[in-house]
Amino acid sequence: MSPKTRARGRAEAPDVPPELTRIPGRRILVVSPVVQIRLGPGDRVLVSPGQKVTAGMPIAERTCDPEFIDVGRLNGATNGNGKGNGEGGWKGSQQERRRPPLPGKWWVGGDDRRGRNARREGPRRLAGTLLYEINGRWSAAAGDRHEKVESPTSGVIVEAANCIGIAMKVTGIAIPAAVAGGQPTRGYLDVPRLVDGELRDTALDMGRSGAIVVAGGRVSAEALTRARAMSIRGMVAGSLGQAELRDLAASEGRQRAALHSMPPFGVLGLDGHQRRPIASPILALLAALAGREVAIITEPPLLVLDVVDVPLPELPRDWVRVRSGTHAGREGRWLSSAGLHRFRAGIHLEAANVRLGDDLGPTIIAVADLERFIL
Amino acid sequence: MSRQPRAFFALDFGAATTSAALVGHAGGRWRLLAHTAAPSTTDLDALLFGILDRVGKADRELLEFVSARERPGTAALVADLARLESRSSPPRRIAVLAGSKRQRRRLEEIASRAGWLVVGGSADVDDPLELSRLVLAWDTHAVLLGADSSPAGDEKRHLPMLGALVAAAARRRPELAVVLAGGAAIQESDFSGAGEHDRIPEVVKAAAPDSSAESDATPVDVATSAETTEEAPAVETAPGEPAAEQAAVGATPEGPSEATAPAATTAPAATTAAPRAPDLAAPAHAAPVELPVPSGDRHDSVLLAPDAESGQPAGSALQQVLEGLRARSDESRLGIARSVRSLALLLDKSIEVIEVGLDGGLRCRAEAVGPGHRTVVSSHVAMASASFAPEDLSDEMIDAVSSWSTIAFDRYRLSDRLRDLRSSPWGEADGEGALLRLAAAKAAVERLVAATPEISVREMPDIMIAAGGVWASTPPSVVALAMADLVRRPGVGRLACDQARLLGPLGAIADEEERRKMLKDLVEDVLLPLGSLILPAGIRQGRSAGRMRVTGETSNSDIDLQPGGIWAVELPPGQTATADMDFRDAVRLGARGRHFSVEVSGGLGGLFVDLRDIPLRLPDKADQKRATWESWQRAMWSEIDE
Repeated sequence: MSPKTRARGRAEAPDVPPELTRIPGRRILVVSPVVQIRLGPGDRVLVSPGQKVTAGMPIAERTCDPEFIDVGRLNGATNGNGKGNGEGGWKGSQQERRRPPLPGKWWVGGDDRRGRNARREGPRRLAGTLLYEINGRWSAAAGDRHEKVESPTSGVIVEAANCIGIAMKVTGIAIPAAVAGGQPTRGYLDVPRLVDGELRDTALDMGRSGAIVVAGGRVSAEALTRARAMSIRGMVAGSLGQAELRDLAASEGRQRAALHSMPPFGVLGLDGHQRRPIASPILALLAALAGREVAIITEPPLLVLDVVDVPLPELPRDWVRVRSGTHAGREGRWLSSAGLHRFRAGIHLEAANVRLGDDLGPTIIAVADLERFIL
Repeated sequence: MSRQPRAFFALDFGAATTSAALVGHAGGRWRLLAHTAAPSTTDLDALLFGILDRVGKADRELLEFVSARERPGTAALVADLARLESRSSPPRRIAVLAGSKRQRRRLEEIASRAGWLVVGGSADVDDPLELSRLVLAWDTHAVLLGADSSPAGDEKRHLPMLGALVAAAARRRPELAVVLAGGAAIQESDFSGAGEHDRIPEVVKAAAPDSSAESDATPVDVATSAETTEEAPAVETAPGEPAAEQAAVGATPEGPSEATAPAATTAPAATTAAPRAPDLAAPAHAAPVELPVPSGDRHDSVLLAPDAESGQPAGSALQQVLEGLRARSDESRLGIARSVRSLALLLDKSIEVIEVGLDGGLRCRAEAVGPGHRTVVSSHVAMASASFAPEDLSDEMIDAVSSWSTIAFDRYRLSDRLRDLRSSPWGEADGEGALLRLAAAKAAVERLVAATPEISVREMPDIMIAAGGVWASTPPSVVALAMADLVRRPGVGRLACDQARLLGPLGAIADEEERRKMLKDLVEDVLLPLGSLILPAGIRQGRSAGRMRVTGETSNSDIDLQPGGIWAVELPPGQTATADMDFRDAVRLGARGRHFSVEVSGGLGGLFVDLRDIPLRLPDKADQKRATWESWQRAMWSEIDE
């Protein structure tokens, strides 16, 4: 298939024959999804609910090396007897300082906590969030290294809470994915030429620095390492194996321990964990968006497009794709229902006749192994 | 003809599968007219249209009769027929905190048996920062802080810190449900001192379950209720409802006697001239005190619960509280447990169900005991980790699947396949995918069996039922083999499958009497017979163990009993036979002896004679183990090479 593309707004789903509704639908785009950015003890938010944010705007401050700190007694300290929840937002930081201590409130260590001792010359900026209070004494999760978390995309803050996270309603639209690894990130979309649906590692060079690269059916651990070294911001592939995700998590752990922080790197698997090529309608959509600013979100896995209107691929309504089984990844046209069919190992499943690719004859495929696209 | 339709839809909304059945009253009883199952993403109306269409094509008059209409329109019937529904509760996560590692493990085990996904930490091992991370995480829905009823020094010294930490987290996240178990209840004051601008969590006491019910429920009573028939109404707890409701009932000032009132108040439906569909609007069980409701509602409560040793067996009281906090009232698994209790009383047999689905699994057992067999003792454990494709897939789980698999996988490849199975549970259900699914299901049942020793020590049940979507497409003889592989107890029992997935929805019928009447009509339709299983213990290896003659209505068989094997003897559904066995040495088959004569009934798989070891002895080497599994599997699954 070579899906044509044309620019239009949000498309309405065409009428679908009743038999086709038995085939699970896959939505190519979702509009204004709510995404989450997870924070932990020691991290604070710099935004407040209802606030509009743009891509690249600092929305949180993460403590890179949080430790458990016994803060001691604080002025006005009572067991949670105060106003607000500790989030004043960036603008309200002055009022924030005047508020009595509360769990989750941003705390900056006093002189005795700033590391001024005989062995150190300069003061350390020890800061974090308060955890809890026992008998008037407060504890905190704090550290002396902090980094700003930038918003990967534009949107409106739905929830924001120190130590917990930020929920944001995205302004644009997004392509849902199945798996994500790494961190939320953003960059320009780069769709290089794929060889047999795959991207060669050597294609990942410094010229793609700052890009989110479409990597074909599968991305290897070597490709991920190389991409990070080349300052590539992220990769999008058809599938993402668990081994690669573990390698990436280990690499991120090492990165966090290092003093020099690198820009966030994220990776998306559009279909799952087992190797499958990127679905042609999605590849066509990505190709049409090449060069535009996009963002990778990890919770939930999404590729966010900072636009409202995109050129959607024009698909026949009986266009289906095999998502699992021996023909996984192939696409074609649904011909008719095949009723209950006996498959390998004597398993009886509801089936359909599908003409895959350029095949001359139909292939009988279990309906549960198929997917159709919903625009 | 009455204008009231004599039919209803029974719907089970699972995480992976939606099952729909049309039940109609025809020929003087309720009957299963048609059923179907499809991925949960399928449009429900399309599913119901399909069912009605099939019934209409097969027997138009029947459809007109049960719908009480001439030329009934399919669309109108889909809209008008009553629906009896049950649903899977989505998996929810609980953070278990304790002062000591020992206590934490105990609490984690109980929370896991109550169906929660569990993360845990103890103050003697983990620092407060790590514990805070657990309770503040977005995907943590509840916190269980527990201690012994009289905590020892190792726990006691950590409790103030843990109480303050959880109270601080509850202030930050008002939606977080907090359970203080046992001696941790002393920290309750931490939650009542919130300032005027904080949300003050309401403290609700959840007492231990009604002990009077337990006294009647012997010898086994795990997370249980004992119930009686209408002839002996003295003690009747509302069976199987979310247990926190029971606990809350116990905490009302009126006392436990008030709790028994709503159980059987609806008049039984007349099933002759004017049958009526079950009371579908009423909840399965009414409870006078509402405890925090899960699934989307906010919990502004702190629950005081019994400690990890309360109940009989130990931990069952806390398990009930946690289960009530997690499950919705129309949950499928609780519905199955309720239906099984009714069935046990109805059939006067011991019944065990093993259910495996995408969101978890269930093992439950019910048997009639006491004078006149009018009391049912039952137990159930629903575990999120007993999913065939668990959300929290650990290396141990992957290894367990690998050890049951007849295909060689490396760990990462198997991990990828299991994770894809979770995201697409209906995908690749044939060929190699069917073998993987079977191995994953067996590993899930193994986890379930390991977590329910109190059921495993009981005798082989009269009827063992396999339920859940994972068995839906598996050949009956393979399901029977899986049951024989996993639940190894000497004895003779019947094997059946809840093919139409009716047990869950029928468990949602509010009135026990009505449910029992409905089951009485439907029992033949609900339980698809797989066959009978003969499983003797104490067979010596190396030579013929004896002979068995099966004398049936249409055919006879004579089998040489060779140790270490499993055979299927053809015995069609609906037929019964007598199996006479003469063993060379004394074996255990219920009782100990050499000569046995038992009545067996047929099924889709026939009669299974299993002379393998109890427990199974397998080679240590992985390839030899796979070959052993394959040889047994091939004997029952001849289509495997197609």
